[in-house]
Amino acid sequence: MIGLVDGNNFFVSCERVFNRHLVGRPVAVLSNNDGCCVARSNEFKALGIPMGTPYFQLKSREATGELSFCSSNYELYGDMSRRIISILRDEAVDVEPYSIDEAFIYPPTTAAENYPAYGRRLRAKILRWVGIPCGVGFAPTKTLAKIANHIGKKQPDGVFLMPEDPTEVLASLPVDEVWGVGRRLPPKLRAERILTAKHLRDAPDETIRSVGGVTLLRTAMELRGIPCCEDKDYDATPDSVSCSRSFGTPATTLDALEESVASFAAQAAAKLRRNGLLAAGGNIYAQIFASGGGGNFVARTVTFPTPTDATNEMLRAFRPEVAALFTPGLRYRKTGVVFFGLEKPGAPRQTDLFDTTAPTERSRLYKAVDALNARYGKGMVFSAAEGVGLRTWHMKRTKLSKRSTTRWDELMTVR
Amino acid sequence: MRTKAKVSGSVVAGFPSPAEQYLEPPLDLNELLVKRPAATYFVRVQGDSMIGAGISDGDLLVVDRSLRPADGDVIIASVDGDFTVKTYRHDKDGVRLEPANPAYQVIRLRPGQELDYFGKVTACIHRFAGKR
Repeated sequence: MIGLVDGNNFFVSCERVFNRHLVGRPVAVLSNNDGCCVARSNEFKALGIPMGTPYFQLKSREATGELSFCSSNYELYGDMSRRIISILRDEAVDVEPYSIDEAFIYPPTTAAENYPAYGRRLRAKILRWVGIPCGVGFAPTKTLAKIANHIGKKQPDGVFLMPEDPTEVLASLPVDEVWGVGRRLPPKLRAERILTAKHLRDAPDETIRSVGGVTLLRTAMELRGIPCCEDKDYDATPDSVSCSRSFGTPATTLDALEESVASFAAQAAAKLRRNGLLAAGGNIYAQIFASGGGGNFVARTVTFPTPTDATNEMLRAFRPEVAALFTPGLRYRKTGVVFFGLEKPGAPRQTDLFDTTAPTERSRLYKAVDALNARYGKGMVFSAAEGVGLRTWHMKRTKLSKRSTTRWDELMTVR
Repeated sequence: MRTKAKVSGSVVAGFPSPAEQYLEPPLDLNELLVKRPAATYFVRVQGDSMIGAGISDGDLLVVDRSLRPADGDVIIASVDGDFTVKTYRHDKDGVRLEPANPAYQVIRLRPGQELDYFGKVTACIHRFAGKR
């Protein structure tokens, strides 16, 4: 049996733990640069305001006090997520975090007697210890557990165990809501009269394969109760690691461009190191600001002398290319870095005859950098190329709550 | 020429260190103050409403959300949306939050009003010479 636990309206729920004024009110959390709604409270959903609604369209309703908004406080959400995962690790045999707000769990054998009771206990513990309400779903496969979880969230106790024969549940679920089906396939599926999850489960293998290949067939098998999602499937080596963001205000200088690229490269490089990966090279790109949105992209591709995860080596390679991207007089909306050619160290490759840096030396350097940043907060140690002055290109987060669990100087206050 | 000898757990020659079998990890305040990291939060005190309980303005409180409140515990709760630190009282007169300073009022829950409990204060860290 597999369980899926996920935080209800996770970002909003995190905000509410530390700001009780937000409880019972329509609240939304905004995307990077306070762009649009990315998480909504139930009260907010009840007003019929869809996900992704731009913030500026709702500002007047905020002014009247009808709606409340928060900027994305990723530091806080990340810490709350970590707390939930650690509780799950205490309570389950194995845990596979899937995203910041959901994780698959493998319940202990003792839970088999009564999965819903086990789920309720988990839910109550997370609610009390962390303060986040969760939905819990149990089923024999991950795809079915996803569906069970969706139903669980709508139950008064937040928990749902998929019945032994899930036919009825699957018959009432549109096929595009099945995990892994995506947005591209439903038109093709409709042509085959596959409209519900039940249709997909019961369709002939050849039909499924012709529409969505072996991936969709795997999904159908999962709906039949046969586990096909390999463990940590989605955790396998990613194809690329990237980091990008829009400027709070358009950038006009080479310095701003260089600093932002350097900083995103540093963040993405830390991501590589966390995943134990090296990158063969990176694409750096910038979007030129155009009034009314959009704007052309300019990009350069850089290949490193040898695959690396060392920020300083990447920056050395990027620097001349950023200069080549920049045209004086233009304003830039966004920059980003995408690393490609990812591999595990020790993968067979041709080494550079002239690479004189001992790999152990640089890995020690960045182990130390990552450890310091983990201990003293992000951005404690950084490359000078990331800029030390006022970072005007930083994300705009005007409604940022306090980072109450990761910063000593931003603790919640009590009177 | 001198050679360096590496000393490890089992020494080939010479006497074993008599302290070796008593080696223990150093004392760690986290181990003492944070029993359940997933449920533990730190909060900062503002004001003197609990001065009589040894909790001063600027002190750091260690709060464990996993613990249920019992009569006499110092707790964090929210009252009308704002967080407060008070002594929890639960007896035949109902639930109330008591300050430890005569200048402040006792907070009584209205009938039917549920306590918005955050967690139990398990330690107060008071630093000398500068609050931070």
